[in-house]
Amino acid sequence: MSLSLDARFELIEGGQVFTAADLRARAETTTSLAIAEGDQPVADLIAALIATQANGTDLFVQRNFSADIPVPDQSGRVWLQTSGTTGTPKWAGHDLAKLTQKIAAGSGAKARWLLTYHPFSFAGVQVVLSALIGGHTLIAPPLNASVGDMAVLAEVTQPTHISGTPTFWRAFLMAAPDLDLKGVTLGGEATDQGLLDALRTRFPNAHIRHIYATTEAGVVFTVSDGKAGFPAAWLNDTLAITEHNTLNVDGRDTNDAVIIDDDRVLFRGRLDSMVNIGGVKVFPEEVEAYLLTCPVVRDVRISARPNPITGHILTAEIALDLSADEGEVRAQIKAHINALPRAQRPVSLAFVAAIPYGETGKKSRAAS
Amino acid sequence: MSFDLVRTELTQILTDKSASVVEITPDTVLLNGPLDIDSLDLATLVVTLEEVTGLQPFREGFVLFHTAGELGALFTKAAG
Repeated sequence: MSLSLDARFELIEGGQVFTAADLRARAETTTSLAIAEGDQPVADLIAALIATQANGTDLFVQRNFSADIPVPDQSGRVWLQTSGTTGTPKWAGHDLAKLTQKIAAGSGAKARWLLTYHPFSFAGVQVVLSALIGGHTLIAPPLNASVGDMAVLAEVTQPTHISGTPTFWRAFLMAAPDLDLKGVTLGGEATDQGLLDALRTRFPNAHIRHIYATTEAGVVFTVSDGKAGFPAAWLNDTLAITEHNTLNVDGRDTNDAVIIDDDRVLFRGRLDSMVNIGGVKVFPEEVEAYLLTCPVVRDVRISARPNPITGHILTAEIALDLSADEGEVRAQIKAHINALPRAQRPVSLAFVAAIPYGETGKKSRAAS
Repeated sequence: MSFDLVRTELTQILTDKSASVVEITPDTVLLNGPLDIDSLDLATLVVTLEEVTGLQPFREGFVLFHTAGELGALFTKAAG
């Protein structure tokens, strides 16, 4: 049985406490569709997971309502939506057994986990399943909670363990909730040494670890020594560095650029132009293509600038249509930009006479 | 760099997003305080300050700060 709900599990959501028995009862009346709305979406998700396990039906975890529900193939899989930056989100089916295979059953000590990821995201479902199987208490903030809201909730509910992206952790540290954590987990983006040091200072009693995972391979490794990157001694046939200095996992190029510094492998951004902005994957070319649909924009270059809060942030250099007046069109371009999801919006606009092109005819897009 | 620049740019961000503009002092907490701003707004503030001053206090990675005054001080320190 891949989903063994530990009897000690509890969910705290919307000011209510749900026991394992409550959620089993809720599963009796649930459907094979979990929808990210309502006051208790995590209770609904857990009930649907229990029902899926019991009945062998497909479960569709719907986070974005613009995506049509595909026809179930009765494979007993959990279908999650990938976070597409543009267009319609895609569905990806996961075997429940595979989602749960690396989760250890409860070993006695009961922890209190704060859920910082969207509960219907891949990372969110992982945290939910870990708490269920481990017999822990899961504290679920409202779907639209800001990091500040989560900090307030954390002070009230006193979690012992929190998993989040580096962007979450930087903002959480700044919000400075009064907590004594035993476990701090980072994932989803590369972690820098400054953040690890700040977490160590703020949470001296915590076990701090950062996780490297890929969509295809799942969790590849976990680093717990308090240092950024990972030990070079871990490199082997399935975890290798390619000739163009990217990390290769199980024979698949991750496009994550790395360098070896003494006995350490450190992450240095992406080989392709993808950047991670507050945990959201963004391709500058897509933003450029969108900006070119604004009639007054003749050419544009989007650059990703390293940023201590969100990892990166986009900036734009714009060559205007020759008849356009800078003062008049700035507001028009800003309005155009505001139709993009927030992570994709360039935060500064510089007007230039022309966008420089390199010898290859490509826009030169420096990594930093 | 003076704290005034942090206050000016922060006020501009609040105005741009039509948030209520409150009085900002060096002790004003940036996130989870009286200001209606989130991580992306704060990232925008840092980029703007970097562009205006030409300084990069976070070149080596993340440095913890809580208040508007602490952020200003990081830029002052970066100016050497």
